[in-house]
Amino acid sequence: MSILDLNVGPQHPGSGHMRIMVKTDGDFIVEATPDIGYVHRGVEKIAESRNIIKNIPMICRPNIADDSHLNWSYIAPIETLQGVEVPERALYIRTILCEMNRIASHLYGMAIMGGVFSGHTTMYMFGFGDRELLLDLNEMLTGARMTFSFSVPGGVRRDLPGGFREKLLDTLDYLELHLPAIDRIFLSNPIFVERAKNVGVLRKADAVRLGVVGPVLRGSGVRCDIRKDAPYGVYDRLDFEIPTSKEGDSLSRWRVRFEEIRQSIVILRQAIRDIPKGPIAKKSPIMIPKGEAISRIESARGEINHYIIGDGSDKPYRVKMNTGSFKNLLALPFLLKGVHIGDLPIIYGSLDYWPIEADR
Amino acid sequence: MTAAPLVVEERVATAARERLGSAVEEVKVEHRGRISITARKETARDVATCLHEMGFDHTIAVAGVDYPVEKRIEVIYFVSSFSSGDLKHVVVSLRINLDRDKPSMQTLTPIWESASFFEREAYEMFGVDFEGHPNLQKLLLQDNWDGPPPLRKDLRIPEMA
Amino acid sequence: MMCPRYDPERFGMQAAAGAMRQSDLLIIEGTITKKMLKRVKVIWEQMPNPKYAIAMGDCACSGGLFHDSYSIVNEVQKAIPIDIYVPGCPPRPEALLNAIIKLREKIRKEEVYQR
Repeated sequence: MSILDLNVGPQHPGSGHMRIMVKTDGDFIVEATPDIGYVHRGVEKIAESRNIIKNIPMICRPNIADDSHLNWSYIAPIETLQGVEVPERALYIRTILCEMNRIASHLYGMAIMGGVFSGHTTMYMFGFGDRELLLDLNEMLTGARMTFSFSVPGGVRRDLPGGFREKLLDTLDYLELHLPAIDRIFLSNPIFVERAKNVGVLRKADAVRLGVVGPVLRGSGVRCDIRKDAPYGVYDRLDFEIPTSKEGDSLSRWRVRFEEIRQSIVILRQAIRDIPKGPIAKKSPIMIPKGEAISRIESARGEINHYIIGDGSDKPYRVKMNTGSFKNLLALPFLLKGVHIGDLPIIYGSLDYWPIEADR
Repeated sequence: MTAAPLVVEERVATAARERLGSAVEEVKVEHRGRISITARKETARDVATCLHEMGFDHTIAVAGVDYPVEKRIEVIYFVSSFSSGDLKHVVVSLRINLDRDKPSMQTLTPIWESASFFEREAYEMFGVDFEGHPNLQKLLLQDNWDGPPPLRKDLRIPEMA
Repeated sequence: MMCPRYDPERFGMQAAAGAMRQSDLLIIEGTITKKMLKRVKVIWEQMPNPKYAIAMGDCACSGGLFHDSYSIVNEVQKAIPIDIYVPGCPPRPEALLNAIIKLREKIRKEEVYQR
C-alpha cells in the first residue's frame, strides 16, 4: 500500500478558502484532515474594541449571503440583557428578511456547492439567476443586495417600502413555478442522482454524536430546528413544516434544502399577510448592562449562537460566535474516510460548508 | 408575554443538584431555557457524564473568557439535546474556572465528541491545555504565530477612535 | 457577477475553474489573511506572463472593516502588483464589470514587453 498526499485547496472554485489534506491509496481516501483558518479575521477580538452598534456590520460579514441571521443572533442577547421588547412589526420584518435570505442562501448553495462542485453549470446559472430576484427585493427593502446590517437592538432600521408586498408575492409566485424545473435538472437528474445517492451517508446516531446542525442534521433523520424547538421572534405563530429525510446521504441533504425553500415560501406568504401595523423600533441605549446571554438562531446552514458578556459599558466584554459551518466541520473527516476520491466534491458540497463563516 | 412556570428547567436543576451534590459549586436556572452549572476542574468529567446521561448529547459551543483582574480563565461548555423532546430548548452552560497562569483541564471529548474542534479553538485562543485531547493543535491561526493567545486581554489591537 | 444577469462573458471573460496556469487575471476578493498570503503568492507566481490583478473589495484594497485585526494583511499590493482597485463592501457587480472594462483599456494602451 503506498499512500499519496494530496492537497485539495486552499484555492478552489466555489466556496471560500479551505484546505483538505487527503491521503489516498490508489483512488480511495485513507484519511482526510481539514485545515482551516485561511479566512480567520479575528472578529471576536475586534468586537471587544468597538461599540455595539459599530460591531453590527463586522459581525455580519462572515456570511454575506445569510447576513440577517447573523445580525439577529448578535442583537438577540443584547436585547435580552437590556430587557427591551421589540415591536411586533419589527419581528415580522426581520422574519421576512431572514426567510428571503434562507431561500437565497439555499439557491446559492445548490448553484455552487451542488452545481459547480459536480460540474453542473446549468444549475449554477439557474440558481444564480433566480437568486438575483431575491437580491432585488433585498435592495428594495434595505438598500443593499447582500450585507444589510438591518436589525438594531430594539427593532429594524426601515419600514417596508411601497410596492414591496406586491413585488414579494410576484417573486414567490415565480419561484414556485420555477422550482419543479430546478428539481428536474438537478435533484432528479439521473447523472446527479447517480453521483449523490448513497454517497456520504451520515447515520442518525453519528449525526447526534458529532453535533452537526441544520440541513445536515435533518438529512439524517433528526427532526430538530430551532424555529420549532425554541421559537424566537414570531415563529411560534407561523404554520410550517420541518423537512427531514431518513437516508442521510448527500442527495437527501440537498432534498432537505430544496424542501426548505418551499417552506420558506409558505412562511413568507403568511408573514406578509399577517404583519401588523405599528412602530418598527423601540429606543434602546447604546450600552450592554452587566450580564451574559446566549442566542440560538436557525440560519440556512444550521444553528448559530452568539454569547455576549456585558460589563455596563458600550463595548461588549466578550463576544463568542459559533456558526453552523464550524459545527458541521467535524463531519467532514468522518464522512471522507474510505470513499472514492471522486466523491470528495459531492460530500464536501453537500455539507454546504462556508469557510468564512466557520473561520470568523 | 406572561412568564410561564419554568417546569422543565426546575426539574433539570433539581435533578442535577441531587445527583451531583458537592461536585458542583452552583446550579442556577437563569431564565427560560437557560441553566448554569459551575463545576471545578477536578469534577468536570463527572458532571459532564451526568449531564450526558440526563439527555444532553451535544455541545453547541465552547467559550473561553479571560478575567485578568481575577486571575482566572473561565471555560464554558454550552450543551443541549437533540434526542430528548422536552430538553431541546434547554441550554446548560457548564462553567469551569481555571488558573490564568497555567490553565489546564481534562478534555471532555470522550463524553461529547462534538466539542473536539471547539476545544482546539479554545486552546489556541486562550492557551488552555485540554489533557487527553486526541489532536490538540492550532486550528485557525497562521502557522508561524508567535504572539500570546489572541483572545486574552494581553493582546491589544488598535482601538477604534 | 458571473451570473446570467451581468454576464461577463460578453466582455471576453470566463472563469477558469482551478486552472491557474492558464489564467490571465487574478481577482483578489475579500480579506487576505497572513495564513493565506503565502498561497496567494504561489498562485501569482504560477500564472504565466502577461498577467493582471484586480483587488476587489475594501478588504483587499486596504484592510477594510478588519484593518485592526491581528491576522490579516492590510497591504496586499506589497506582495502582488495590483492593476485596478475596486472599492466597496461588497462592490456591486456593475463596479466589477467596470473594472474589467478599465483593465481592457489599460491593456490596450501598453506594450507586451512592459509585462
